[in-house]
Amino acid sequence: MRASHFHDSFAKKNAVFAERLGAEVVSKVSDSKTEYGLVRDGLGLTDVSYMHRCSFPEDKGLDFLDALCAGNVAKVRFGRMLHTFIADEAGNLVADCYVANNDEQFFLLAESIMDDAAFKAMLNSRGAADAGMVDLSESHAFLSIDGYKAWAVAKGLFGADVLGLPYLSVERYEFGGQPLSLFRAGKTSEFGYYLLAPAANAAGLLDKCLSLAMANKGGLCGVDIHNDLRLEGRFFNIFAEGAIVRDPLPLGLQWMIDLSKENFLGSTAIFERRAKGLSHKIIGVSAAPGVKELAKGAAVYNGAAKAGEIVASCFSYVLNAQVGLALLPVDIAFAGLTFNLGAEHGPELHTISMPPIMPKSLTVKLDEL
Amino acid sequence: MQAAIDKRRTVIDTFKQELIRRLNLPYAPDDLHEDVALLGAGLGLDSLDALEIVLCIENSFGIKIPDENIAVLRSINTVVDFVLAQKAESGAGQ
Repeated sequence: MRASHFHDSFAKKNAVFAERLGAEVVSKVSDSKTEYGLVRDGLGLTDVSYMHRCSFPEDKGLDFLDALCAGNVAKVRFGRMLHTFIADEAGNLVADCYVANNDEQFFLLAESIMDDAAFKAMLNSRGAADAGMVDLSESHAFLSIDGYKAWAVAKGLFGADVLGLPYLSVERYEFGGQPLSLFRAGKTSEFGYYLLAPAANAAGLLDKCLSLAMANKGGLCGVDIHNDLRLEGRFFNIFAEGAIVRDPLPLGLQWMIDLSKENFLGSTAIFERRAKGLSHKIIGVSAAPGVKELAKGAAVYNGAAKAGEIVASCFSYVLNAQVGLALLPVDIAFAGLTFNLGAEHGPELHTISMPPIMPKSLTVKLDEL
Repeated sequence: MQAAIDKRRTVIDTFKQELIRRLNLPYAPDDLHEDVALLGAGLGLDSLDALEIVLCIENSFGIKIPDENIAVLRSINTVVDFVLAQKAESGAGQ
């Protein structure tokens, strides 16, 4: 198992550890309501060491990454990032990823549902070594800062200029005399930054971030709460609905694809399915009061007939209800309808518009702070 | 159920077609999931595009969005909710 660079620091805070597909993760540090509140009202620091991270020299990496990813890597300008995915030959999802261009290198930051070793083997089988890939997963620590006040930590680390970075951008800084890459991204619908730094600086970086976080209603988070934050903010989660549905089209990920690209891994299968048209797609759902859980795989009934199933769920503290995603036939996958959960006369299940929340971060203008 | 679907589908189809035309988006209407984020993540539209979306809603449905109501622009579905609510309020949807 690939160990976290922040293990000792999180262990001191009584964090609960687990394994995610060959990599160590911090599941949680506090209860879910506390961690949820950190991100929505302050900020949370999350160890994202489980994510794959590697770099490529710009000249060799471009063709390799463009052939691999569904998005158009050639269009990623200096200092910017692309949010896209990697599929297999059958056009089924393998990884949700960012590709960043920092002028000299491309970075690939990926969350994969393949085992850690299998993902690396897949990259190598596609010619990663010839493309000059440098695996940073062991050599570099990776920390995520998410929340309404995440910008305060970034500003405390690197100065006010960091507030001018647009969403999906990358910038180089220094920390502890070593280079550090900052990526402005995130999947909670609040402000988000990823910090990539040499492993030797991991403990010092976390200490500094935590001291800045504590001054801004912040603290440590585990990865489990991110499943809830993503769903409530309607960010795609490859570990939830992605792992079940696998086909990017019913998941609504067409925006991650450059439809004009002639070829990428899985493109033939994806474009064939697109030409045939969708039969099903996912839709947000909210359970009636009293429903304690929307279990993955639970049946959704339209009258007496089973229409679909739940593919992701969480408790929404904003709505005070169980919310989720259901996979339904396209002719009934509309918000504002009522179905039943588990049986014809089961509890009511309402299809809803996503995201159901209005994140506080949308009310903040960083360039006016 | 079918009446509610038809009513919603009409607004969705109109809005998607106008959005694609105005912003020259490289997608067909079926490629745009109704929950995809319009601004920032998802379609990645910026503040200038947001003005176009507001104009798109005004021209397509004759409905103005208050300046302070950016929550409406979170996704296609939230725009459609707003349009349907306004139509119901004005009686135009009856």
